[in-house]
Parts: sequence; structure tokens; C-alpha cells
Amino acid sequence: MTSPAIHISDLHKSYEDTIALRGVNLTIGDGEFYGLLGPNGAGKTTTIHILTGLVLKNSGVTEIYGKDTVKHFRFTRSQIGIAHQELPIDWFFPIEKLLYFHAGYYGISKRIAKPRVEELLERLGLKDKRTSRLRQLSGGMKRRYQLAKSLVHDPRIIILDEPTAGVDVELRHELWDYLRELHKNGKTILLTTHYIEEAELLCEKVGIIDKGQIIKEGSPRDLTKELGKAGINIHMIGWCDELNEALSSFSFTYDDNRLHFTVKEPEADMAKIIQLLSHHNCHILSVSAEKSSLEDVFLHLTGKGIN
Amino acid sequence: MSGTNWIGLYTLTQREVSRFFSVYRQTVLPGLISSALYIMIFGFTLERRISEINGVPYTLFILPGLIMMNTLTNSSSNSASSMLQMKLLQQLPDILTAPLSSLEICLAYIIGGTVRGVVNGVLVMLVGVLLVDMPIEQPLATIGFIFLVSWTFSSLGLLLGQLADTWDQLAMMQNFFLTPLSFLGGIFYSIHMLPDWAQKISMVNPIYYMINGIRYTVLGIYDSPPLNSMIMTIFMTILFTVAAILVMKSGKKIKQ
Repeated sequence: MTSPAIHISDLHKSYEDTIALRGVNLTIGDGEFYGLLGPNGAGKTTTIHILTGLVLKNSGVTEIYGKDTVKHFRFTRSQIGIAHQELPIDWFFPIEKLLYFHAGYYGISKRIAKPRVEELLERLGLKDKRTSRLRQLSGGMKRRYQLAKSLVHDPRIIILDEPTAGVDVELRHELWDYLRELHKNGKTILLTTHYIEEAELLCEKVGIIDKGQIIKEGSPRDLTKELGKAGINIHMIGWCDELNEALSSFSFTYDDNRLHFTVKEPEADMAKIIQLLSHHNCHILSVSAEKSSLEDVFLHLTGKGIN
Repeated sequence: MSGTNWIGLYTLTQREVSRFFSVYRQTVLPGLISSALYIMIFGFTLERRISEINGVPYTLFILPGLIMMNTLTNSSSNSASSMLQMKLLQQLPDILTAPLSSLEICLAYIIGGTVRGVVNGVLVMLVGVLLVDMPIEQPLATIGFIFLVSWTFSSLGLLLGQLADTWDQLAMMQNFFLTPLSFLGGIFYSIHMLPDWAQKISMVNPIYYMINGIRYTVLGIYDSPPLNSMIMTIFMTILFTVAAILVMKSGKKIKQ
């Protein structure tokens, strides 16, 4: 059996008088797209910083492809490309040179890194800015540079800490497309985000972290199905008492010609309900579905919104 | 990747060296200009009043001290400011998340500072040769000594850069300790010109031994035995290098 890309077990971390992580357990399979969702201070950044060696853990297991991140740091760090949330500032070198430096830190010579650097500059729209200093780039370009830097050594695992924070909608969609492409090419991606939509659209699996613990895990679809509150609203004429019996398998309320059903999967139940109403000669004026989202799940689990 | 990350070490060293060369107006030229001014103002004006020290004209006497002052100031400030800058500008995470060991990171910073120290020291030496025809008794030993002192103070700078949280703290360490110790180390005078109690205090100032050592390699004169200078410099080199590596390894003030 092959080792998972990332394995974290019973991870604890305290900063002076603050407990940041209270036993985080997390396993991400090779090639998986995983989203870590949580409010500020939940422990997302601490978790990924421990994996990459920026923060020292108090206790627990942190492994990359089965190897300890402290004992085998050369192997584990060379498998990871990380795009930090904070954008760096560098006054001295053009971004092309910075990418070569970054490849060099990972043991890749300039000659070998050249095609990769060229490809990333092209793919991320930075080719014309290769001689610019970081301070001359816009916020969006800095984000793209940050992503290029995390990919320059062609890592198997990409960790993205709030990769689309502060970028406009157009660029956000471009970056999402690129992340999908990377995932399709077999990369394992760990994403932390405030944007629920981002996690819903991109991630195969999400973990909800709050107060230093992962409190729920699953695919966005399964989580919303299990914990979300979806519904169907029907405006109709022709209610009859027999319908109470006919609709007894559903949870519903009826008031003033309006029916509200609480269901798990509105798409699946809608046809059945409409069929039953038609069978009892009801006249349907309008139908609408309320779909639950990860935001509802998050609210349900933590009692607060993500932002 | 196993063993030493040679390409990583080379790259980080190259970055450190390129960094200070890219701003040579701040990192190389000021030392040259201030040394030339010291030679002209202190040397030429005071030479009329202080004719010779240990049989050497005053201008020549101060030159090895100026070489040493430039060497240690530049080497220490290079690694200190580079480390603090990387911390404050969020560049350090790129280094700390790369497959580089604490030893490799320290070596790259120390070598970067050493190169700047050697470049500045040798340039001031050349200014002395060009301006006042300074003879150099043991050129190789002089360069070797400049290298060793550069390494020592580059390690000290790295240590200070790791421990400092702000530019103010770093400036305080440099202005309140390093600069006074350099000036009191005998750049502009022989310690035999001082009263007994001041001579005794000078003996515990490590920079005194370094100035004494380089003065011996350049002019062949000394206030205390050159071997003591060599032993003290090697001791300080080992002390600061090990301290800088241990602090890096511990992650103090760098990793949370």
C-alpha cells in the first residue's frame, strides 16, 4: 500500500498562552484536492507551517509520503511547493532571477530550471514582467508570482494558503482553472481558504477546522447532504386533506397555499413531490429549490460564519 | 536529495553576494570614501603632531586599523541586515521551507558577509597602497587575516540578525557595542599611549587583538604577541560561528 501524500496525527501546538492545535488528524491521499476550511485563528496556517518546517510542533506525527517532516526534512520539503498567504517584498532582484534562486534552493541548477521557469512565466502571464522587481507588480501579479515560485521545482504536493485572497474575480477564475489543470496532472493540492465557493468548486474533500481541531471531513457534496438544510418551496392551489397522508414520507409545512419541504437533495425529491401533487389535482403556480451550501454546513458545525 | 544540498548552498550564497554588489553604492563605496577621509584628515593633520608610533609614520600606523574597521563593520552588517530584512519582508519562509539545513543556511549568510568584508578590507588596503604607498610585509597573511576577521564578524552579524526583531535593536547592538569596541581597539593609537588601567581594559577587547594582528601582518609591528591575536581571532570565529548555527537550529526568533 502506498503512503498518503500527507499524514498528520494528533498534532499539538501552543504559542505561549494560546493553544493553536489540539490534536489535528488529517490524511490526504496522493493526487487528492483537499480544502482546509476555517475562520481566522482556527489553526489552518499553523498546520501547514508545521508541515513545511516554519513552525515547530509540540507533539504529534507529521509525514509526507510516509516520511517524518523533521527527520527527513530534505525529502519532505522537496516534495512540497508552498504559496504563502503573505506576499513577499524583494527590492534587489527581478522576478525571473528570484524564480531561479528558488529552484536553486531546491537543488535545481539554472540550466535544468530554465524550461520550467519559462513555462511558468508564460503560463501565468508574467513573461513581460520577467525583469520587473516585485514592488513593481500589481497585487494580482504578485499572487501569480507566488504560485509560480511554489511550482518552480515541480513538487508533487502544492500547498496554497489563501491563494486568491485579495484578487479580482477574473484572476480568481483563471487561477482556479490552473489549479484544476495541476490537479488533473496528478498533483496533490492542499488549499486553505475563506472562500466557500472556492472549496466547493475545486476540492474533492474538505476538512472543517475550528479551535485547533478538524471537526468534520468529507466531500463538499456529502457534507452538504448530511448537514445542510435544503428545501423546496411550492405555491399551489387545491390542497386536500388526503395530501397529508400522501406526503407523510416528507418533512413539510403547509400554510396559505404554500408548501415548504425540508429535504436533503432537492433535485431528487422535487419530481416525486410534483407528481404526487398533480395526482391529487393540485394546481402548481411556482416551484423553487433552496440548495444548502458548505457555508450552511460550516455554520451548523461551528455556530459562526467563516468570514 | 541526500547529504549536502550543494546547489542550494551555492544559490543562497550567490544571492547574498549579488545582493550587496547590486547596491555597491551603499555597501562598498562608503567604506572606501570614509577610509580615504580618515587618511587625509586624521593622518595628514595629526602626522605633524604625532610623528611616529613604534617607528612607523602615523598615517601608516592607522591604515591597518582602518582596514580592520571596514572589514568588521561590513561583514557584520551584511549578514545582520540581510537576515533581519528577510525576516521583516517575509522572504525568510522561502529559505526555511526549502530543503536546506540550518548549517547550509548559516554558511551561505556567513560566506556572503565574509565576501563583503574581504572586498572592503582589500579595497581599503589598496587605497592605502595608492594614497600613501603603504608597504605590506606579509600580503598573504594580511588577506588571510582579513578573511578570518570577516568570517568572525559575519557570524556575529548573523547571530545578531537572528536575535533582533527591529532595525532599532540591530542599530543599538552595532552602535553601542561594535563601533565603540572598534574605536577602543587601537585603530588610531598604540595602547602603550594609554594609562595603565586603560591598557588593562583594552586587553579584554577582542577587536584590539584583531587590529594588533593585522598591523603585524602589514607593518611588522605589534603591541602584544601576534600569536595571541591569532588565537583570539580563531577563538572568536569558532564561538560566533557555532553560536549562529545553534540559534538557527533552535529556530529562536525565526521559527515559532
